[in-house]
Amino acid sequence: MPSSSPVDMKLAKCKHVKYFLRNLKLMPARASSYDSTRLALAFFCISGLDILKSLDVFDEAERKSTIDWIYGLLVEPISPERGDDWDRCGFMGSSTFKFATDGSNEPSPYSSGHLTMTYTGLATLLILGDDLSRVNRRALSAGVRALQQENGSFCASLEGSENDMRFVYCAAAVCYILQDWSGMDVQKAVNYILNSISYDYGFGEGPDLEAHGGTTYCAVAALSLMGQLETCLSSKQLNGLRRWCISRQMSGFQGRPNKPVDTCYSFWVGATLKLLGVYHLIDYDQNKELLLSSQDSTIGGFSKWVDSDPDPMHTFLGLGGLALMSDEDLEEVHPGLNMSERALSHLHSIHKKWMS
Amino acid sequence: MADSSSEEHGDESTWVFYKDRPTWKDVTPVPQDDGPYPVVAIAYSEKFRDVYDYFRAVLKSKEKSERALKLTKDALDLNPANYTVWQYRRELLKSLNSDLAEELRYVWQMIEDNPKNYQVWHHCRVIVDWMQDPSKELVLTEAILEQDAKNYHAWQHRQWVVRTFNLYDQELEFVSRLIESDIRNNSAWNQRYFVINNTTLFTPEVIEREVNYTLEKIKIATFNESAWNYLRGVLEQQENGLAGKDNLVKKFCEELLDTSEKGKTKSPYLLAYVVDLLEESMGRGEDVPQNLEKALEICKSLSSTHDTIRREYWNYISQSLEKKFKKGNDAEEMAVS
Repeated sequence: MPSSSPVDMKLAKCKHVKYFLRNLKLMPARASSYDSTRLALAFFCISGLDILKSLDVFDEAERKSTIDWIYGLLVEPISPERGDDWDRCGFMGSSTFKFATDGSNEPSPYSSGHLTMTYTGLATLLILGDDLSRVNRRALSAGVRALQQENGSFCASLEGSENDMRFVYCAAAVCYILQDWSGMDVQKAVNYILNSISYDYGFGEGPDLEAHGGTTYCAVAALSLMGQLETCLSSKQLNGLRRWCISRQMSGFQGRPNKPVDTCYSFWVGATLKLLGVYHLIDYDQNKELLLSSQDSTIGGFSKWVDSDPDPMHTFLGLGGLALMSDEDLEEVHPGLNMSERALSHLHSIHKKWMS
Repeated sequence: MADSSSEEHGDESTWVFYKDRPTWKDVTPVPQDDGPYPVVAIAYSEKFRDVYDYFRAVLKSKEKSERALKLTKDALDLNPANYTVWQYRRELLKSLNSDLAEELRYVWQMIEDNPKNYQVWHHCRVIVDWMQDPSKELVLTEAILEQDAKNYHAWQHRQWVVRTFNLYDQELEFVSRLIESDIRNNSAWNQRYFVINNTTLFTPEVIEREVNYTLEKIKIATFNESAWNYLRGVLEQQENGLAGKDNLVKKFCEELLDTSEKGKTKSPYLLAYVVDLLEESMGRGEDVPQNLEKALEICKSLSSTHDTIRREYWNYISQSLEKKFKKGNDAEEMAVS
């Protein structure tokens, strides 16, 4: 059936490549509130370039120096044999509190990993073709494990943070990437997720909280990475969840009932639908139209809402939302790990090497 | 605020850099080491660089002092998302035995300025937990919800306060007020479920009350997904199924369908609910051929007219129902089981 509103807009691919490159180089002073999570920004930009099939904008030297910068944020054990400071291990989000250890045996103050940064750090390394050989996998897993709470959820870092579904997802992604599930008590994490299903069958940040597109993605993708998606939810729950997700489409997708659409949910809810096996039931044309109209064709980038300022996260997720629809110009994206299938197959070849 | 150092040292125009403050001349600033090829570098202002150079020095020397506490405030003004600064501030508050009531006033000012920042809400929760005094939290979250009635952080904080300090007493009343002012506020509907699920539970009396309440709200706005979802959630807590006790809800839906104006778009939530009611009946073996025919017809109307954005979904539901209930499939199903 011909669409009532033909999509005649085009993806401003070159502009988006330039947008990411600009941000990778230097962000304006008003981005200072992202100072402690720069690694996540790097992930948005580099993974975005990957989705745009444009990683070749980096020459070999740039690729290597970027990899080195990321490894520079890795908090490693002071002495690999001792094992008494592994709780701190993981990636920091920036060099803001990176101190030279001056050869001391004491860990430098306030240097510890942050779960989101550990996930985005590892993912970015994989996207850049690194083989993770500089990562102490056992120490990193211990660093993840140290953040799990009694109720099964995770904190972001040892330095005191909230605990919720976002970090359950990041923990699952890190365990999957490292192929080491000693990083969590899986049953406890699954229980936390199941306790967070709402009466409307979406998932909240935690028990009793309102179902939300982002947290529903975190819950479903975590279960999928754990290999538990099909087994731990009843068919009634799965069907309710499918209905909840599909009901989020208004043109693009909204994050909660009766909220406006937002570019990022085309990915969060779209990827969830893909993991649930029913993505093909959405209205592609309307989703595509919304996404393309939220891009800035002059300076590049996607914004949260049409006619507002673009940012790297919405640009990355907007492109991810388009890629889920198998756009030929874009790299296919794996819905569970939120990185390209290309990068994922590189990871799988590393897994094979680890196993042999 | 009394101890705000930006007040002492003036606003942007008269700001005195830490490096120029006599009271800090004993401290050697520690510059950031971003390596030879920084990625996503930020064009920090001179002020940002100065404050964080001194903060790094304090962190490194583990200085616990009033001036360090003031420094955290400047660092947080420049980046309220820096969780390490917040953590260090908490350690300072403890070791300096600071006035926590004052701290709570400060963090609520920060929440006012940054209502969608995770770190400020977390700090607030820790302080309330230390003080074991939730007396202001309901009023303050209410003020934030007046600006944005769906602020997830505010609801999350409010739920924590209500649960931790057993402040359920007035909460249902509060929720009803919010639903009165915006019947489509899904967060308020969720809070309604939270309160009941943690207090009276869904007893038959409560279910009857809630069903009546919700049906009244649906009459006002039939296209309101939040109310339909709540209705379903409540009815799943009892044994009469989606039809409700004495088929009350079923009759309500039939009436609503009959009174919908011909030629006008019908509420897709109403139609979806009716499809689910029919499926439930068929599951009990009631009038399968007739109910199936009705259900398929409604799916078709959803797909073609009332919910066209989900046309593929309704075709899929239609096919699933047909597969499950069409005569002739029974024998096949029995053979499989």
